[in-house]
Amino acid sequence: MTRPPMSPPPTAQPPTANAPAATGGEHLLADITALIERVLASVTEVAEEMTALAAGARAGRRPLRRADLATLRPLVAQVLARHRGFAAGAGVVLAPDALADAPRCIDWWWAGQGIGQLEVDLDPTSAEFYDYTSTEWYREPARTGLPCIAGPYVDYICTHKYTFTVSVPVVDDGRFVGVAGADILAGEVERMLLPGLSMLGRANRPMVLVSGNGRVIASGTASILPGTVLRPSGPVAADGPVTAAGPLPWMLLSGPALVSAAGR
Amino acid sequence: MAPPALTTVRARTLFTPLDTGGRADTVTRRLAKAIRLGLLLDGERLPAESQLAGQLGVSTVTLREALATLRTMGLVETRRGRGGGSFVRAPDDADRLERPLRLLSLHELRDIGDHRAAIAGTAARLAAERALPADVTMLREHAERLRGAAALTDRRRADARLHIEIAATAQSPRLTGEEMDLWSEIGDLVWLPMEGADVAPAARDHDLLIDAIEAHAPERAREIAERHVAAETDRLLDLRLSLHHG
Repeated sequence: MTRPPMSPPPTAQPPTANAPAATGGEHLLADITALIERVLASVTEVAEEMTALAAGARAGRRPLRRADLATLRPLVAQVLARHRGFAAGAGVVLAPDALADAPRCIDWWWAGQGIGQLEVDLDPTSAEFYDYTSTEWYREPARTGLPCIAGPYVDYICTHKYTFTVSVPVVDDGRFVGVAGADILAGEVERMLLPGLSMLGRANRPMVLVSGNGRVIASGTASILPGTVLRPSGPVAADGPVTAAGPLPWMLLSGPALVSAAGR
Repeated sequence: MAPPALTTVRARTLFTPLDTGGRADTVTRRLAKAIRLGLLLDGERLPAESQLAGQLGVSTVTLREALATLRTMGLVETRRGRGGGSFVRAPDDADRLERPLRLLSLHELRDIGDHRAAIAGTAARLAAERALPADVTMLREHAERLRGAAALTDRRRADARLHIEIAATAQSPRLTGEEMDLWSEIGDLVWLPMEGADVAPAARDHDLLIDAIEAHAPERAREIAERHVAAETDRLLDLRLSLHHG
């Protein structure tokens, strides 16, 4: 199975950098990258099965229906079991009018005690209408045709926690049908990274992992907190080593400038 | 490997947290919605508590909690004794909107305003520190949606969504949860004094607020958000007082 790389975020502005990779940084990111890649592989499986469903309906000249999605559920359940404790939810989200009998459809399952289906209001006239087409994890794969890792963001729909969503476009015969995806809890990502970040960073050279748009994912110093933004134009810029996180649009930063920023 | 059994869980609405014990709230909302939609008719007698709890998949304790809330909302009436039980009270439109307000004292309204100002103010300040350009774009889209909303429900929805998104832009699940709870509690009230009124002043406030967030001006953002909530609270207090004169 081959996969294209993750698309970079549309507003990628890496903080300034001028030095080679941080010692140990690659190793630090290797585990988390591998884990996210495995989730991505699982999501890709779901996307492929969804593509097959759409292709089957097209070949049989019958409309794709909501009930057809039921055949995906065993796989989605397997995916959630496979990544238990790391991926909090998974499923498919259909492009408007991709189904014949539902203008919008979100077939998403969350893992808790057992597995439950996410129910959201998809009626545009309702007070609690959830317009998923405006989310980063839907919009980006639709726009670029590439997998995406959105976040970290506050997911107030499904996990109610600080979350990443990995999503893969579902394309049948050149037509965008929707996305397959999985939610990853930001707390789990941080838990894996924190020992390394605090061990490899030094008091005068803290180490921080940021997303492509500068949002702090995990930090080895209490003075730069997850969720804040390192702005190239602002007081914080890494003047030290930067490590790109392989296929992920993330960067590991370290340097004394992070310390001076911390002292502001 | 055999996949675990998939179970369809009870209905979840957008504003129900997953694992924060919001079961009574969920039941309250489902029943309230059913009453407002006319699925449960005025005067209809609800099934016995144990039976209804079973149908809804909750404990009788949870159901009682929900029924108590529905009684305060005036949507359910409980009669004791022979022929007693819980009965549906489907309110007419004006009553439906004004009744919750009638039930709140000025002290409570002020307190809700204080709570909202604290949450919205802090959310705005942190959003201004932590917003990315994409967040600002998204907030502007929500503000635009409010500008274009004519019906009360649409305005309430767009307004709630915008404020929840500002809290999410602050990167705080807790503040976001607080905004969601506040809006599901008092969302219907916020726009009540604005029925038929111009949406422009509120839209202007939102534009200024998003400008401050975009400019990374935390204190300005906080001040605008607090002022905005204070103005809404004042209007509600006025309306609450006027209910006595009418």
